[in-house]
Amino acid sequence: MKIFIWTLLLAVMFSSCKKWLDVKPESQIEKDELFQTESGFQEALNGVYTNCSDGNSYGFQLTFAMQDVLAQNFTIAPKDYLGYLQFSIFNYLDPHVVDLKNLAWTKLYNAIVNCNLILQNVETHKTLLSDINYGLIKGEALALRAYIHFDLLRLFAPSYANGATAKAIPYVKDFSNTVTPTSNVTEVLNAAIVDLNAAKDILKSVDPILSPGYIIGYPAANDVTSTEESLSSLFWQNRRHRINYYAVCGELARVYLYMDKKQEALTNALEVINSRKFPWTKIPDFISANPQTIDRILYKELVFAWYDPYVKDDLVYLFGSGLSSLYIEKNAANTLYETGGVGGEDLRFKQWLKPVSDVSGDRYELQKYVRDKDANLHYLMAPALRLSELYYIASECTYDTDPAKATAYVDSVRYHRGINAPLTIPDKASFLNELVKEARKEFYGEGQIFYMYKRLNRNLAGLTGISYPASDKIFVLPLPNSEIDYGHR
Amino acid sequence: MVFTAFCKAGLFSLPAKPKTMLVMKLTTILILVGCLQVSAAGFAQKVSISTENAPLKKVFKEIKKQTGYTFFYSTRLLENAHNVSLSAKDQDLRKVLDECFKDQLLIYNIVNKTIVVSPAPIRDFPPSAQPDTTPVQIRVNGKITEAQNNTPLAGANIMVKGAAKGETSNNDGEFSILVKPGSTIIISYVGFQSRELRVRDNSFLSIKLSLNANKDPLANMVVTGYQVINKESFTGNTTVISGEDLKKVNPQNFLQSIQVFDPSFAIVQNNLAGSNPNILPQINVRGSTALPSGNGDVLSRTSLNSNVNLPTFIMDGFEVSLEKVYDLDVNRIQSVTLLKDAAATAIYGSRAANGVMVITTKAPKEGKLQMFYNYELNVTGPDLSGYHVLDARQKLDYEMLAGLYKPVAGITQDDQDVRYYAKNRNVVSGVNTYWLSQPLRTTFGHKHTLYLEGGSNSVRYGLDLRYQTSPGVMKGSTRDRYTLGMDLAYNPNKVFLFKNVLTVNQVNSRESPYGGFSTYATMNPYYPKTDSAGRVIQELDSWIIDTHGYGTSQYVTDVVLNPLYDASLHSFNKSSYLELIDAFSGEWNISKGLRLRSLISYTKKRSTQDVFESPLSNKYFFYPTYLLSRRGAYAYQSIDENTFDGSVTLNYNQQLGDHYVNLMMGSNIRTYTSDLKGFGAIGFTNDRFTNIGFANSYPLASSPGGNFSRERLFGALLGLNYSWKNKVLMDVNLRTDGSSKFGSDNKVAPFWAVGLGWNAHKEYFFARNFPAISQLRFRVSTGMTGSVSFPPYLSKTTYSYYSSYWYSTGVGASVNNYGNDALKWQRTRESDIGMDLGLFNDKLLFSPRYYYKITNGLLADINLPPSTGFDSYKANLGDMANRGFELNVKYTILQNKTWTVNVFTNLVHNTNKILKISDALKAYNNKVDQAQQTDSLKASPLLRYNEGQSVNTIYAVRSLGIDPENGKEIFIKKDGTHTYTWDVRDVAPVADPTPKVTGSFGTSIGYKRFLFNANFFTMLGGKDYNQTLIDRVENADPRYNVDSRVLADRWKKAGDKALFKNIADLNTSELSDRFIQKDNELTLQSVYLSYDLVPASAARLGMRTCRLAFTMNDVFHWSTMKIERGIDYPYARSFTFSVQTSF
Repeated sequence: MKIFIWTLLLAVMFSSCKKWLDVKPESQIEKDELFQTESGFQEALNGVYTNCSDGNSYGFQLTFAMQDVLAQNFTIAPKDYLGYLQFSIFNYLDPHVVDLKNLAWTKLYNAIVNCNLILQNVETHKTLLSDINYGLIKGEALALRAYIHFDLLRLFAPSYANGATAKAIPYVKDFSNTVTPTSNVTEVLNAAIVDLNAAKDILKSVDPILSPGYIIGYPAANDVTSTEESLSSLFWQNRRHRINYYAVCGELARVYLYMDKKQEALTNALEVINSRKFPWTKIPDFISANPQTIDRILYKELVFAWYDPYVKDDLVYLFGSGLSSLYIEKNAANTLYETGGVGGEDLRFKQWLKPVSDVSGDRYELQKYVRDKDANLHYLMAPALRLSELYYIASECTYDTDPAKATAYVDSVRYHRGINAPLTIPDKASFLNELVKEARKEFYGEGQIFYMYKRLNRNLAGLTGISYPASDKIFVLPLPNSEIDYGHR
Repeated sequence: MVFTAFCKAGLFSLPAKPKTMLVMKLTTILILVGCLQVSAAGFAQKVSISTENAPLKKVFKEIKKQTGYTFFYSTRLLENAHNVSLSAKDQDLRKVLDECFKDQLLIYNIVNKTIVVSPAPIRDFPPSAQPDTTPVQIRVNGKITEAQNNTPLAGANIMVKGAAKGETSNNDGEFSILVKPGSTIIISYVGFQSRELRVRDNSFLSIKLSLNANKDPLANMVVTGYQVINKESFTGNTTVISGEDLKKVNPQNFLQSIQVFDPSFAIVQNNLAGSNPNILPQINVRGSTALPSGNGDVLSRTSLNSNVNLPTFIMDGFEVSLEKVYDLDVNRIQSVTLLKDAAATAIYGSRAANGVMVITTKAPKEGKLQMFYNYELNVTGPDLSGYHVLDARQKLDYEMLAGLYKPVAGITQDDQDVRYYAKNRNVVSGVNTYWLSQPLRTTFGHKHTLYLEGGSNSVRYGLDLRYQTSPGVMKGSTRDRYTLGMDLAYNPNKVFLFKNVLTVNQVNSRESPYGGFSTYATMNPYYPKTDSAGRVIQELDSWIIDTHGYGTSQYVTDVVLNPLYDASLHSFNKSSYLELIDAFSGEWNISKGLRLRSLISYTKKRSTQDVFESPLSNKYFFYPTYLLSRRGAYAYQSIDENTFDGSVTLNYNQQLGDHYVNLMMGSNIRTYTSDLKGFGAIGFTNDRFTNIGFANSYPLASSPGGNFSRERLFGALLGLNYSWKNKVLMDVNLRTDGSSKFGSDNKVAPFWAVGLGWNAHKEYFFARNFPAISQLRFRVSTGMTGSVSFPPYLSKTTYSYYSSYWYSTGVGASVNNYGNDALKWQRTRESDIGMDLGLFNDKLLFSPRYYYKITNGLLADINLPPSTGFDSYKANLGDMANRGFELNVKYTILQNKTWTVNVFTNLVHNTNKILKISDALKAYNNKVDQAQQTDSLKASPLLRYNEGQSVNTIYAVRSLGIDPENGKEIFIKKDGTHTYTWDVRDVAPVADPTPKVTGSFGTSIGYKRFLFNANFFTMLGGKDYNQTLIDRVENADPRYNVDSRVLADRWKKAGDKALFKNIADLNTSELSDRFIQKDNELTLQSVYLSYDLVPASAARLGMRTCRLAFTMNDVFHWSTMKIERGIDYPYARSFTFSVQTSF
């Protein structure tokens, strides 16, 4: 009898212990628990940005190094301390190159999974969120998913111009361990456009940047007119550090142009330009001798950029450590910025490139990201989309209909960089020539010019006069082996 | 004589500090003892009592209260007693008692202060009406004393054989029991040999019990942690070793000694850590049941540190950590039981697959206060027999041969000559530094253990104190242990028993400031270690190395820094922990054979680690000037662990005719939390201020670290041990475990085992036909157990915060993993068959066994395409099998009054085979192929997993050896053709390092009061990769010191039949099977000699017993493979001298 009672007691204890066994991790947080609160959603979204500003992603390789090395923007010493030499000669089988590109792939898809988890949960927990936060979280997650997929496409798939129906990458919309099938280039672009337009619709009604009171400027301590850091919630501040409404428009312009849909691209580019939200950088700020008041990255013109203060030392190493860094030889720099001609007055050349002379010759070091003990006007940012690009897009989209207006767009950028001579363009070929040259100067060290060469299927111009003929062999990074093996690509 | 001299030397060499410590401890003990000894003196022998028709029991109680005299009787005796009426005032005790016993069928007897009540003699019985058919019972009185010095033994058990009744002896060792004439009584006492006596009449018995220190009272019992089962009727496969035996083999590290008794319990050789006292051993029982789980990194065979095959350790009923066991004092161990097969381990369910080690500590015994004191002096010296380095002259000659002084671009022959002769000058002037001995020392470790015990039948206490130092052979490395333990047992009556054991441990450890030993093996002997003024030189030399690079970077300068310089600084790496364990248990004997027992234990452990790197250390030698303020580093970490383990068991023992049943059911609950916190600091001004407060900042981009984890386990268990006439045996064990570590789909899983056995020697026909066979038992068992040795939370999708990298709009959280809800236990199905054969009255014991263990659902990584966001997730995929033989043979050659001679051998053979692996592991193999080609890993065999191979298999390219014509290596390609070029695709499984036979053998010789033991450990038939040959001979860097075989065995000119490539070839040789060698090893693991002092001489010294013992460990190691043993920390030989006394 006693045994029977005891058994019964055990059985009761046992059935109630299942819950007890469900241990919650404490230094990590369980997925379901995170999405129980509004701040959890905010943290998950912030997490995507932190994730993207990782060194293997936009925080370093994908902004400052990889694509600019591919685009032949740097001289690399034969000793190749940082391991970019093989990148610069498109040796995509070199183990170090393989490592870097695979890491970028993994990291970007990891960010996408984070977006998907947010999107999966945001609908079911809609009641937890205020309208503004719901809009920001859902809109930004959608936009980021498209933004990242588009960059993956631009790195790992043929250009639209060269292979609109070629096999590209998987466009992942779920959080799961099942393999998403590969889409072709057009399908990826269309999917990105769907996501971006959806994001645009959502953000249109909630994004604080759209409010007239949102004045773009330098961080609060440096600029009293700026309201970027005046909102009560940290989550609503610094809209340009996140993918805001205008960034979505700009990204749409990029994607449409990539698909050669010039009209849609123009509309979106003009929406940003005409908003007059983003003021040109004042020349005194650009050339200031006082570190307290210098703006080297043209901060106010950044429509969208990654907050990236933690790579300061890595950037010193990348651009400022003598022959072991990425530098540019004197003659090559002079050619690139056309210092013999129109570029003699170019402030970008003067401010961004510092001449260095030593036994191994004369060269320039990139100053764009130099920090003066954190005293500068702006944060250290990894630029993602700047106002000038939208002028270039607008220019390219209007040339066929109105060449004069097109050159005017380019001229207005050049004007704000200290070049007063207007462009004189005889034909479209030389227009594109000038546009690419101009963009290369503007985007130096920002990782965008490679995509422009690729989109236009133009030969890559090396610094020593060599030209690398346009082909998928140099424009398309191979997929990681693990992706091919386990994803059956 | 030798020993006494040694003893004196040992005592005199005691440093001052421990001595004072000892005195202090003694004082504490004396105070405590004073409190515990409740004196009964002062009670009068006069009694005042007035009762009316009161039960005798009540009267006794009253008398006891007034006089302090205790009554000694069995309750049954008073059942028929009349009530008494008394009226006494200040009467003599005897008078009052006479009054009480007047009309009773009872008599009394006053012995000291105890009144023994017994039935009146039979002749006083009134004549019975009917003739009694049952034999008349007689009363037997007797006295039990210790054989050696005639001290009475109180509390000894006196049982009548075949009956359930029994008595215990009183304080004077006297007893009185009713028996039928001709029956046998059994006298037993914990720690003493039991005796059986046939009783014929009621004459007074004087029984002497002899102390049986060698024989553990639990020797014939198997302690499973939940049950104690008679070994004869248990079908599980176990090895029981007494603490005393463990101590004889290795008094310093008893884990090492276990493998002598059971080689299935294998301490994995750690050639890197050698004899470092601060490195915990890796253990596996009967082969691996899990794959080493890395974080995706490539694993080399030496870098494995996860201990996935660790058995579960149970101490006195609750689970403890390996570190707890490692730091346990062997003197406290009563016995160790290894549970190996499913029948024995299944009651541990999800923790059982790797075997269970059950440790029982000594419990206090009742009786007079007894004190045991034990002192050990341990002398440890380094064992450098594996090292053969070049001397100064040879080294310089080798450098010449290797072509280091040939002109290279930019450096002329003249420059090179200057360099050469500068070194030659050192050699000629007699500089020949033996760097290997610089960081080493011979050390003296001390251990004092004091144990006090005593108490009455109802209250027993034990107090245990320990102070132990274990300095390592590398200067400055040490591990000091302090223990304070208190045992209390209270049984108010025969129904209840309560016990509480409180233990406090403090362990302080320090790593040697001398750094890795390997550095010293590479220092050139022609370097002087100090300058002429005796100061340690920091920069010893610099080499110009051709990197074959471009431009100015082609030649780099490699500076040789003096490792002794680091050692002269104040850098440190120290850790310590304080552990508090309290275990409380209660037993309730509900009725005959039915017992309820519950145990609650709580363990709290706080560990800290402090690592300081001096700003002056060699590490910062190359720091650029702008980073000078960041030199020096400090890291601090603390871990707080809390474990709660509780169990309730209900035991039912009953003999019903020929059926004997031992049934146990119970439940077990365990929670464990671990809370880690740590932070670092950098920037120290100088070497003197080592406090973290002197640091000038936190390390760049770092934030404080923290990790909290929690584990929960709940189990319900049922164990049945049944035997029929002790001939047919059966065990059934069931356990259902729930663990927090598993996916939400699979929180709970059942485990089971069944065992059957047959005691053939108990059969009548057997005993008649084969009288030589004294024991023959067959056992067979099978069952399913599990293991949970992997991090918690794997089954959940979790997020981590980027706490040190805030985004400008707030902190971010990012998903870590794809949580697999369906994660399950690793299940191991184990079958075991065995036999125990004893011949000639068990003089020859022979026990062969065979086992087959198959682990299903090995936890492995499943690869995902990275586009899913993750590289892999955990799933149960993969199977592995282990099969093996075990053989134990013991032969008693001689046993008589003066001599005992035994020999034994224990042999084990295990093969491991991977049956199935996942894609992820195949992908891992590809990754290994890639990694194999990087310079640092070119020459070391990396772990690979292939179906059909063992988890330990070595993979390399097959080689034909060195071509005598040109000194190049010839490889065999996969297709069988020969080539000079090494290709990773030709890597094939080439050898299995698992020995064919692992075993121990030895002898034990007792002569009068001397005892001699010797134990050897051997491994035969394995093959291993000789890392020394490739690192220190083949790929030796001629700029550093190398193995002496470089000069002798490398190819020098055409026609040389050499084992190693061209001496002038400075390229890195890759992995090939040329370096696989037969690995047969023999170690003289221990030699033990002891002498027990004659009681008379011991008594003269004021002791009850005294034993002097001397042990030598790892004295001698022989191997077919000439390999440098102990890379980061050398191996050691140790000698222990001990004195064991009791007062």
